[in-house]
Amino acid sequence: MITKKINKKDIRKLLGTWNQECSVIVPTREQGIVEMAGWDNKDISFLDWYRNTVVPPKACFLPQSEVMISFQKKENGLKIEVPQDEHKQIIFGIRPCDARAVAIIDQVFADTYDDYYYSSKRRNTLLIGLSCSNPYDSCFCTSTDVNPTESEDVDLMFMDIGDEYVIEEITSGGKALLNTSSMIKKATKADINKAKEVRAASVDKLKKKVDTKDVDRKLQSCFNDIDYWEQVSAKCISCGICTFLCPTCFCFDINDEMIKKHGARYRGWDSCSFRSYTKMPMENPREEKWRRVRQRVCHKFEFYPMNLGINACTGCGRCIRLCPVNWDITQVIAGLPGEISVHSGK
Amino acid sequence: MWLKMFEPSGPTTCLVMKVSDMEKELRQEAGKLLEEGTVDYIIGFAPGSLKFTTTPLITEDIDEINNLVINPFINNNLAKYLPEIPGRVGIIAKGCDSRSIVSLIQDKQIARQDIVILGIPCSGLVDLKKVEKLAGKERDKIDDIVVLADKVCITAGGEKKEVPTTEVLFDHCLGCELQIPKEYDFLIQEPAAEIRDYESSSKQIQELKKMSPDQRWAFWKEQFGHCIRCYACRQVCPACFCERCFVEESQPRWVSPVSQWQDNLIFQAIRTIHVAGRCTDCGECERVCPVNIPLRSLSKEMYDLVGEMFDYKTGMDVNAPALMTAYELVEAEGLIR
Amino acid sequence: MKQNTEEQPRIVGFLCKWCSYAGADLAGTSRKKYPSNLTVLKVPCSGRIDPLFVLKGLRLGFDGVLVSGCHPGDCHYQTGNYRARRRIVVTKKFLEYLGVPEQRVQASWVSASEGAKFAQVVEDVVENVRAVGPNNLFSDEG
Repeated sequence: MITKKINKKDIRKLLGTWNQECSVIVPTREQGIVEMAGWDNKDISFLDWYRNTVVPPKACFLPQSEVMISFQKKENGLKIEVPQDEHKQIIFGIRPCDARAVAIIDQVFADTYDDYYYSSKRRNTLLIGLSCSNPYDSCFCTSTDVNPTESEDVDLMFMDIGDEYVIEEITSGGKALLNTSSMIKKATKADINKAKEVRAASVDKLKKKVDTKDVDRKLQSCFNDIDYWEQVSAKCISCGICTFLCPTCFCFDINDEMIKKHGARYRGWDSCSFRSYTKMPMENPREEKWRRVRQRVCHKFEFYPMNLGINACTGCGRCIRLCPVNWDITQVIAGLPGEISVHSGK
Repeated sequence: MWLKMFEPSGPTTCLVMKVSDMEKELRQEAGKLLEEGTVDYIIGFAPGSLKFTTTPLITEDIDEINNLVINPFINNNLAKYLPEIPGRVGIIAKGCDSRSIVSLIQDKQIARQDIVILGIPCSGLVDLKKVEKLAGKERDKIDDIVVLADKVCITAGGEKKEVPTTEVLFDHCLGCELQIPKEYDFLIQEPAAEIRDYESSSKQIQELKKMSPDQRWAFWKEQFGHCIRCYACRQVCPACFCERCFVEESQPRWVSPVSQWQDNLIFQAIRTIHVAGRCTDCGECERVCPVNIPLRSLSKEMYDLVGEMFDYKTGMDVNAPALMTAYELVEAEGLIR
Repeated sequence: MKQNTEEQPRIVGFLCKWCSYAGADLAGTSRKKYPSNLTVLKVPCSGRIDPLFVLKGLRLGFDGVLVSGCHPGDCHYQTGNYRARRRIVVTKKFLEYLGVPEQRVQASWVSASEGAKFAQVVEDVVENVRAVGPNNLFSDEG
């Protein structure tokens, strides 16, 4: 529920206050590439140009490569160190689709199994959501149960209503961030009405739509339809763009490196699109391209719902927008063959 | 002049691009090939799902032939698919694609008799990143791009802008050396507009060469700090046809799979050297890079290097031996003592 | 691989087994003096030398790389060194473009009878590499 608001002019001050306590991460553009990176304590121009990042915010918790342990050869053996990282950070400007994605990866790394490296970063991070009113033509979040202006997956949710942002306080951690600040005002009824209008207009802007109802059952029934998978995978070139830049893909690989007596164990992104995926234990069970393509679709829309009750696609559209061959997952979902057998629960 | 024929009339209609005479001719020919059983597959371009995009079409279905398009956004180098597609294949080829096809034949990756090349003249492709910069708007916010031989009209947010065509074409197109395929089985008989700007085509390379070695190394070090090792550059490259790439070798392990600038740089440097004499400067590696590393400033330099040292132009002569399999008794003097 | 870690600069040399390696042997048996900075790796033919070897050598911290094979026309396998020549010069030129000082990557033809030339080559290589200082190409700083 919207309770507070802040004037846009005060954002720099607000971020400045936060930046004294912990590091503030904002959308940053370098060489045309937008990603979440440390704020320089002055530039808030991103509020004008920012639509979404190229590298998804998952990189803040699951960096592309990170040191798990470092080791050094000494005369009397190895000196081993595990990096300790407990510094607090605030990510400002995460979009609802990406916030949902973080919640989805949380289930993998921080819920059922507690991954030290992921959760030490995650539990020290507050997410400040920013509503999205300028989606790309590849975005289809409304088809995956995400509202571009609303999120329960953040600590605070900011929504642009013109000269001001209205704020929803989602968690106590988020609430506490606003307590000390004099720039935060109470939202009026008029603000809330304005927000309603913006919300409706923003949702309306999402033109790309795909019916994801029953898609898990459809996928189940056409899992062995090799013709279909061969046909839709034909143009895929098996690069890692869609998976690396997917906000919910989390596959990783672990490698030891040693150069000149210094070494480290690294964890880095891996991708099921690669032909060499999982070659390290033995072989890749998905040698043919269509199997790898099928895996990606099924993982998002069949296996996740089966295991965790949620689609692992949040409709951010990165995989469509950045694909070298315009492989479009919505077309593949929409084109799934076969009738869904109607399960009558009645 | 096919450029004139491309006149998308708005955001929604440009997804269904106007059928030009060339497209008609192409569809007819491709349809005939499938129908008569001359080929098992046709590889071409279809409209993409997003504005100003196209997508590779690989089909054995005659009904899909009507989706074939020709326009200034047919980026992909379709030769990439040839080694992996079984049977006989009809492939639509721009000049650069045809060079890659020839190079694959030279390298004995495909057999000439299995391929039917449908050549199309190409006047250059539109680099959307350049258009975005000129328009100050991102691709999906641009309403219309009309490409003429001498100028391009960009309409975005009600504003219309006219710029010389040389300002929106890909750098590699500005330096194109083969607009009309030399090797083909069927060719659409249209001239291509000569739109060139050799200077801007390799502007960054010239700038890099003015730097000291240290500065150049620092430049690449910085660039490869951005690399995410998605391997899109390799995967999209027709010259990269190895069954197994050296980066994936584990015994011995040449390059660390961990993304760090050192290994990212070594990967790309070796990739560039390995494809020396196979690279046709089609520019795909740079176009697909999701983090905007100027990869063509590597590949084009290599392209020029082998051109200067061995007087070799990739993919121009189907009967010539591949660069690295051949030699002259005396060459490259003065570099080895 | 036994590395010579004492002498600076450190050079790794890829020597063809038929000519240059034998040339190195001859230099030894004829008691020619040359710097001991070189770590020798024997390859069956200069045609075996992949550009990867060169970069891997630099990545591992060698200050310079020497590749050496039979003179053109003398290859034990007829054409191995001709093919190697194209690859080596391309590698050398391209690495220069990347910003690797040209002194760090050097190539020579040394036959089995050229013990003296081998010693001279090594001496020159060491001197050239020393002139460009230690290899910090792949260090994170600077």
